[in-house]
Amino acid sequence: MTNDRVPPSGLPDPVRRSLFALGGLGLGAATVGFLAATFRFLVPNVLYEPSRRFAVGPASDFPPGSGTFLPDRRLYVFNSADGFYAISSVCTHLGCNVKHIGRGFECPCHGSQFDENGQVVHGPAPKALAWYALSLSPRAQLVVDLDQPVSPEFRLRA
Amino acid sequence: MSQTIWTRTLTWFDGVRRSVCRVGWPATDKDRAAAMISSLFLHIHPARVSRHVLKPTYTFALGLISAILFVVLSVTGLALMFYYVPYPAEAYRSMKDLQFVVTFGIVLRNIHRWSAHAMVGVVFLHMCRVFWTGSYKRPREFNWVVGVLLLLLTLGLSFTGYLLPWDQLAFWAITVGTNIAAYAPVVGDQVKFLLLGGHVIGATTLLRFYVLHCVMLPLAMLLLISLHVWRVRKDGLSGAENHASPTEELAGVFPASTKTYGLMAISKRPQASVEARDPNDEVFAWPHLLYRELLIALAVIVVLHVVSLVFMAPLEEMADPTRTPNPAKAPWYFLGLQELVSYSALVGGVVVPTLLALALLILPYLDRGTSGSGRWFAPERRIANTIFTAVAAAFVGLIVIGTFFRGPNWAWVWPWK
Repeated sequence: MTNDRVPPSGLPDPVRRSLFALGGLGLGAATVGFLAATFRFLVPNVLYEPSRRFAVGPASDFPPGSGTFLPDRRLYVFNSADGFYAISSVCTHLGCNVKHIGRGFECPCHGSQFDENGQVVHGPAPKALAWYALSLSPRAQLVVDLDQPVSPEFRLRA
Repeated sequence: MSQTIWTRTLTWFDGVRRSVCRVGWPATDKDRAAAMISSLFLHIHPARVSRHVLKPTYTFALGLISAILFVVLSVTGLALMFYYVPYPAEAYRSMKDLQFVVTFGIVLRNIHRWSAHAMVGVVFLHMCRVFWTGSYKRPREFNWVVGVLLLLLTLGLSFTGYLLPWDQLAFWAITVGTNIAAYAPVVGDQVKFLLLGGHVIGATTLLRFYVLHCVMLPLAMLLLISLHVWRVRKDGLSGAENHASPTEELAGVFPASTKTYGLMAISKRPQASVEARDPNDEVFAWPHLLYRELLIALAVIVVLHVVSLVFMAPLEEMADPTRTPNPAKAPWYFLGLQELVSYSALVGGVVVPTLLALALLILPYLDRGTSGSGRWFAPERRIANTIFTAVAAAFVGLIVIGTFFRGPNWAWVWPWK
């Protein structure tokens, strides 16, 4: 045995280096596992917030040619000649509610402007307003699904 | 007889006093040193300090004031927790209770609020001081990194606290702030989801911010402050070596005067060497340093009280997710970023803050020259100082613009109109 195993105290090293490394590795693995579990723990499985899929009322509530703002849902629902469509009122810049002015939309916070399809006309918003899928429930209710974004070509024919 | 009882009682009390605090009111130099070394709370001070340390125009006590503000915030924050309920409508009602029902509630809240704002400013100024005096140079590089982390923690604490009143100001500032976070590439949306605990700011968000604000971040802060202060204690304050007395300057001519201390069985290395310092340049921390610290703490507390009695912490109507105030602004220290985001989301929300944080963190490992450390605006650091001052001034300028010159629709307004 080499001398570096025997410290000045004269006592033999109580733990072998390999065992020390093994223990350290185990503790490290436990820490990583704990951190991963904590991270997963913090991702909620159930959200106590309004459903992402909801009915906004019978289709007849939205007469042809109308645009209706639903403030609680932060959503505009339109009924055009070729069908229904829904555009989010949440500005893609920093999350303020956009206002339907003239044929387009304007954000009161940072002056973003959008055309009637929600496309950006004037910054600072980085992208177009979101469009969401509409469907018709068996009871002729219009149903919006916020987890199903669609392109501006979307129309629901009632 | 009664004399004996009296003396014995006194002796008994003196014994109790000695068991708590072993050193009496220091009368000798030995006791002055012992007073610092033997107390858990005082031993973050050295027994003796260089006169240079005591010069108020070198540090402006900005680090000390930051620490005092942290203590004030911890104490007032703990008191506020007795009334605060972290649940949406209840949270707002407890703010109203603090304002109108609870004795001294409004004063505590005002002190907490203004201390928090002050701390952001003072920590920033402290960073400026450390830069302008070149104090992040070897051997203090890592302590600068700890300081940058403390600055980020200060911002994190301030930001999480901003939501808690649950009024319109809080709700929309956090809406804007978390949306800036969502601009981060790849993980932005996930970070926002995790931070909010959902898609929208609600009860889960409030609880998360509450736990972060009251437990997680303060604990992290306490840990890092301890590390920060401990390293200052070990490395000493920068610049003391530049203010050597004539006797010390002779040390370059004569063989270096060092004392060596054998550490016997503690260390394998045979000896630790400590530079001999000039005793004439040093004074005892008790009472010279302690007295100044006390005065500054008193001044900070007096200023906080005066400000808190004159200016009320803002509380608008209850948060309403369907009604956006115009303009909606992030907390003031993020308005520089919001101003940048109003030009370009990517540049303002991602590129600039990331580069700024990274640049600050690796700064001491890039700027490795050791000259010009320990003095204000050393001429050999002119380039570094110019760059830093320009960036800091630009950032402050953007905050001023975002705060005072931006009105509805983020249009330019003159604040005096």
